[in-house]
Amino acid sequence: MNMAATECLLQLYEERLQLEDYQSGVPRWCSGCGDNAILAAVQRLCRDEGLRPEQTVFVSGIGCSSRFPHYMKTYGFHGIHGRALPIAEGVKMARPDLTVFVNTGDGDCCSIGAAHWIHALRYNMNITLFLHDNQIYGLTKKQVSPTSPIGTRSNTTPRGAYLEALNPLTVTLGVQNVSFVAQAVDWIPELLYDIVKAAYHHKGLSFVRIVQRCPEWLPKLMDPWMHDPQKVQLVHHERALRISPAIAKVYKNHVEHDPLNMDRAREIASSTDVVPVGILYQNPCVPCYEDIRRSGGLRSADYVRRGLEGEFDKFTVWPEGAGEQQAA
Amino acid sequence: MESDLQTHVTFYLTGKRHGGQLGPIDGMALRPALLAGYRDLTRLRYDYPVVLCAQDGDGASVRPLSGLVDAALGQAGGGQDGERVRRHVLHLEEDIRKLLAEGAEGTLSALWDKAAGAQAGQGLGRVRAAIKADGELADCDRRLPARLVGHAWNAVQQRKSRRFAEDITRLIHKLNDILVADFVRSDAGKSVDVLKSGIGTSHQDSFDFDAMSRILRDSVHEVALPASRRRRVTQLLSVLESQRFCARTDLPAGDEADEPYAFAFGSCDAALRAYRERLPKAIELLKAISMAELEIRSEYHEAKHDPIFEGFGEIGFDPRDLSRFPDYLVCANASRMRGVENDRLAEIFSGGLPMKVLVQTDDLLEESPLGKGHLAIGLRAKQLASMAIGLSRVFVLQCPSSHLVQWSGHLTQGLLYSGPALFSVFSGAPEKAGTLPAYLNAAAALEARVFPAYVYDPSAGSDWAARFHLGENPQAERDWPMREFAYEDSNHQRMAESLEFTLVDFIVCDPRFADHFARVPPAHWNGSLVPVAEALAHEPVGLPTQVPCLTMVDESNALQKVIVDENLIREARTCRDMWYSLRELGGIRNSHAERLLAREKQAWERVRKQESAAPAVVAAPVAEARPEPPVESEPERSPDEAYIETARCSTCNECTTLNPKMFKYDANMQAYIADIDAGTYAQLVEAAENCQVSVIHPGKPRNPKEPGLEELQKRAEAFL
Repeated sequence: MNMAATECLLQLYEERLQLEDYQSGVPRWCSGCGDNAILAAVQRLCRDEGLRPEQTVFVSGIGCSSRFPHYMKTYGFHGIHGRALPIAEGVKMARPDLTVFVNTGDGDCCSIGAAHWIHALRYNMNITLFLHDNQIYGLTKKQVSPTSPIGTRSNTTPRGAYLEALNPLTVTLGVQNVSFVAQAVDWIPELLYDIVKAAYHHKGLSFVRIVQRCPEWLPKLMDPWMHDPQKVQLVHHERALRISPAIAKVYKNHVEHDPLNMDRAREIASSTDVVPVGILYQNPCVPCYEDIRRSGGLRSADYVRRGLEGEFDKFTVWPEGAGEQQAA
Repeated sequence: MESDLQTHVTFYLTGKRHGGQLGPIDGMALRPALLAGYRDLTRLRYDYPVVLCAQDGDGASVRPLSGLVDAALGQAGGGQDGERVRRHVLHLEEDIRKLLAEGAEGTLSALWDKAAGAQAGQGLGRVRAAIKADGELADCDRRLPARLVGHAWNAVQQRKSRRFAEDITRLIHKLNDILVADFVRSDAGKSVDVLKSGIGTSHQDSFDFDAMSRILRDSVHEVALPASRRRRVTQLLSVLESQRFCARTDLPAGDEADEPYAFAFGSCDAALRAYRERLPKAIELLKAISMAELEIRSEYHEAKHDPIFEGFGEIGFDPRDLSRFPDYLVCANASRMRGVENDRLAEIFSGGLPMKVLVQTDDLLEESPLGKGHLAIGLRAKQLASMAIGLSRVFVLQCPSSHLVQWSGHLTQGLLYSGPALFSVFSGAPEKAGTLPAYLNAAAALEARVFPAYVYDPSAGSDWAARFHLGENPQAERDWPMREFAYEDSNHQRMAESLEFTLVDFIVCDPRFADHFARVPPAHWNGSLVPVAEALAHEPVGLPTQVPCLTMVDESNALQKVIVDENLIREARTCRDMWYSLRELGGIRNSHAERLLAREKQAWERVRKQESAAPAVVAAPVAEARPEPPVESEPERSPDEAYIETARCSTCNECTTLNPKMFKYDANMQAYIADIDAGTYAQLVEAAENCQVSVIHPGKPRNPKEPGLEELQKRAEAFL
């Protein structure tokens, strides 16, 4: 027991929430969509960690993945395209006591939101980011995204995509101050949950790319990886992800990797023949922006009012003649 | 027996100088030969004086002057005139030490300027600028332990108190917010006047506040704060606002309601009285903090929490709850640690109260309460420290003041420790003045094992090995530390020998004990004079044939030999035995461990002998039995049975959409077959085909009359 008695006593009466307490509405995603798996894993996390709904925020941009906040009975912000991260950073800056998650898609994060993505990594605020990467724009009915493989036929590229796909992992690992990079796949729920959990516990920006199937627009894309367990490479380490015997029995391709080894992380992240699953990089020593910039001042009602009024005054339109009166 | 030896032995046994051969040592200003090099401390660079730095973040708050100067020289002492500046600065450092020795006081910057005087050259200024730390300079004297511990305590306390005050201020603001929010929602909050005051003075005519107030009042009917909650919040506010355990940071100066409590005391009795007096307030505040935390999260449920807080703290509480409160500091002197004070100290320690007690010993060689002829060397310090360690939850640091700077890390550790702490420090400056400076005296006490340094930290682990360590004691393996001593003999030849520094060497520096020593003139030096350490190691049987003697130097640094009487030798043996037992606690030459080792070694040798006697049989290497990691057992499934590998389900909703009665999700949102009879075999097969991760196994059909079975079974084969 490392808590003082009073604290124990008070926690005794805290309500334990069930999975249903985090569910909100029936997801409007297609059946078979990988988003469902991510939702289930995240709801499990909330329940198991006892996250209080009123202390938890999910922020998203635009896309299939970004409907996520609607299905969580917590606070949420369905933002504008590509801008999930700036909103989440603002929330975290103003209310560091909240747990902030970001759900974003491959288009939202890697295309229109790419600048915010890079700088969010540099800021390294304590936020957990899930990149739902189905490698296609699904909500707008099949256009190529930056992560679509070369040759992908879509409504914008009827002759197949011309460019090599962008690899979100290697890009992330190339940014200064990066502190947590992991990859999960939606078809191994146990590992997805473990990785989501590790990401939540990491202090700093946890970047989790989740390779996800789109049964509607790219139904066959992930088949070679799904049907051959050898092509899933489990990245494990005693200080990172540990693999249960049941998983080890099915997926036999393992590699041990020290999460502090950046060079090796980049190497693993670059593999194309196998899909690496696990924690590629984790450095708990990178400082968080909200800690560096914390003023320590108390946000009293007065303080907030003064700040707001100062801002409003900048935009005030004074009635006729009042300007002079004000200046005098 | 030759006459020389007779005289020596007589002195050894009786302490009486018969005949004219042996001389007294009083007035000769003798000191142990090993201390010959330390006559003028101001010319030596060592840990003192120290700078009691004003708060400098997380850095060490006590820094030796020599260390600061070295660091500054490393930074700014380069360049063409580097060597000249270096010499200059080192001279200046010596001057500062001299000033202090003469009784000057002040901050480093003040004394630096005073010593530098008019000679402030450019290089000097450069080095001065490189010394960032500043604060009071303190030399090693009788005031030092209290100053140094007080300084360190202050630094820790300020940090702690600031955090505590911030917490309380935050709670006050948040509680106030509750009341403000309630006011804004109330009818009074929507009244014309209040609305008017919210706009400011310049544009009041632009609004119709009457209409605004009416609309607000009629359109939204809000529930006011329940009376009981309002009462509770107000009550909590009054407790938090009137607390005196720390100074509020947000109040403008002069607006202080009550002076905050003082936490530094001169005696255990006073500290304990204050603690008792304040305890009800402390419990009230603790309760208010816990309640306020719940209140501001809107989690206070009267039905659940009222009973918890009703009798709060009545039958004791966890001392860890008080860890956020400031700690008490008691600076006491060992000579006054008798009677009531001693009892109070025991109460503090056994009660685990958050008090840090400095007990300063000035005189280790004070007279025993039994009277003349009895010695009680270091009695009080030993008593206190062993009592404190015996209580097992007291942090104990014993250290002479000479080594306090080196051990300031342990000091901070003790101050941060959540329970009581005892700092037992020997100042080296007895009232009945000895001949040695305080620093040298304190260091000699450590060297002579009469005041060993050690730390006992209950938070470091559960066993002695983790909690106790002897750290800096010189040559802990040996009975007495041994040092090289070089001198010139009467023929101007260099001689060297190893001398051990014993308790007797420490005592001889104190003039009160001069009667126990006698000087032997060089003409009478002979083989029967043996070093004290050697005499201590071999207890004589029968009539002594050797007499213990000390090698000393007089004021002109001429070598002298001084013999000792038996009283002190006995005392030194006791001191050595105490050192032995302390050493065992510290894991050095532990008798239990040594016995165990000897036994194991014997057993091992016996086995080896047997093996060498019968070498023919080579034992087969025994494979190390490694426990298999427990594999979650999966139930054996027959291919005829329909099932889902639930753990692998990726929650894609395919099957549950197809037939929500047949397929359901478990508590982790993963699918299982809830009711196999709720659907057809065709649906099972279709679900298996649709399943993205192929975890549905349809098995064999249960209803043989279902149409199209043959075809379905063929499709199902892929999933069996």
